Amino acid sequence: MDFAFFLGCTIPLKQPNLEKAFRDVCSILGINLKEMAGASCCPEPVSLQSLNIDTWLTLGARNLAIAEKMGMDVMTICSGCYETLKTVSVLLGEDPGHKAKINDILKKIKYEYRGDINVLHMVELFSQPQWLDKIKQSLVKPLDDFTFAVHYGCHLIRPSKIMRFDHPEKPERIDTILKTLGARTINFATKLECCGYCARLQDEIGEKLVEDKMTELCELEEDVDALIAVCPACVSQYDRKEKLIARRTGKEMNIPVLYLPEIMAVALGVALEDLNLTQRSVKPDKLIEKLTT
Amino acid sequence: MSQRLRKQAVELDKNFRYEISQKIGAKSLLKCIQCGVCSSGCTVTEYVDLQPHRIVASCLLGLKEEVLSSQAIWTCSLCHRCTERCPKNVDYSFILALLRSMAAQEGRIPKEYSSSVITILENGFVIPYSEGMKKNIDKRRARLGLPEISGPNQNEIEFIYEETGLKELIKKTEVGK
Repeated sequence: MDFAFFLGCTIPLKQPNLEKAFRDVCSILGINLKEMAGASCCPEPVSLQSLNIDTWLTLGARNLAIAEKMGMDVMTICSGCYETLKTVSVLLGEDPGHKAKINDILKKIKYEYRGDINVLHMVELFSQPQWLDKIKQSLVKPLDDFTFAVHYGCHLIRPSKIMRFDHPEKPERIDTILKTLGARTINFATKLECCGYCARLQDEIGEKLVEDKMTELCELEEDVDALIAVCPACVSQYDRKEKLIARRTGKEMNIPVLYLPEIMAVALGVALEDLNLTQRSVKPDKLIEKLTT
Repeated sequence: MSQRLRKQAVELDKNFRYEISQKIGAKSLLKCIQCGVCSSGCTVTEYVDLQPHRIVASCLLGLKEEVLSSQAIWTCSLCHRCTERCPKNVDYSFILALLRSMAAQEGRIPKEYSSSVITILENGFVIPYSEGMKKNIDKRRARLGLPEISGPNQNEIEFIYEETGLKELIKKTEVGK
């Protein structure tokens, strides 16, 4: 299966080891990723949409037009990219007049956005029955002894009238993928709380949200091996803030944060040393030890 | 907005609600019934000077200045729970982004927002990717065996900023600094 692979910015430029894990998983499963030459930032939904909606829509449509020319659906690996590209496709699909206006601009730089491809998030693909089967068949190291907490984040599932992807208040597609790897996932009160990364104006909002979630995970009766997220913003937010809070409060939390493809890669047999799992603030030493014994 | 606000009917901007509702994706503003579900589930509800349902009420009333100068429109974390739960399908988080753009038109842009917009204009990406930065990133990617990045033609990005009016807005607000 071929996809136009939309890289975005944060993963390829700041956390390329996450991109590596995703590419490894795809090559094991037989998913072909085609590079989108000339693609820009999605663009970022927080600031650009806020300052000028038409700039946001036009830049997004330009990226989609590149994939249309390749004749493939778009695969995203960041929830921000997914939100932008999917929202652009839905809004312009519902408003042909506005689409024409955007195309008037795009035509001048020789692009055209027709609106005939789909935008997918990696979770959407991996959780389809045929890919779950494929994952099961390809398991090298089932994660039977592992318990994970899942962080869905906001932009993957909401607003559901646009994302149309999973239940907005009771999502389960990431849990399903992890269970297919053999792991257990837990339910917890703050499971669907925002990571706070996009609340840019006040840092304390993010800190409080991270502290609440991590404190709850630490106080649970069973040990949680890692928090699993599917967006680079959520991953870095929890990882960095968790360390900061530990330093400030003296509370040792030590729950590592992994990106879903990283743990998938482990289960599918990618060597640990190829994944650079220690390149983060909260080192997953215990997890690595458990994986190697 | 802790002190009580008193305004005469003639001081209200009655057109404000339509100014918003005519924009793409924002028609739903007019359907609000002030139930407060948006505010009760809001991630940042305890941090804002105006809660979501009060922002909507203020828009409908025509309190344009109060809305566009509020800190609340920039504090939102865009978690979209308000939009998700609204029984009348008001796209609050989307409308909020529009309110931000209206405030921006008047030159009110917090630097937390303007800086990434300028980075995208200059790099095509929201992370600086030129000269020394580019070299380091490329080296790191090569070490991981990842393909080279073929970024966008910068002129195209700049053209889109120009055509949609964002270039001018940036210039205007930079001059105003």
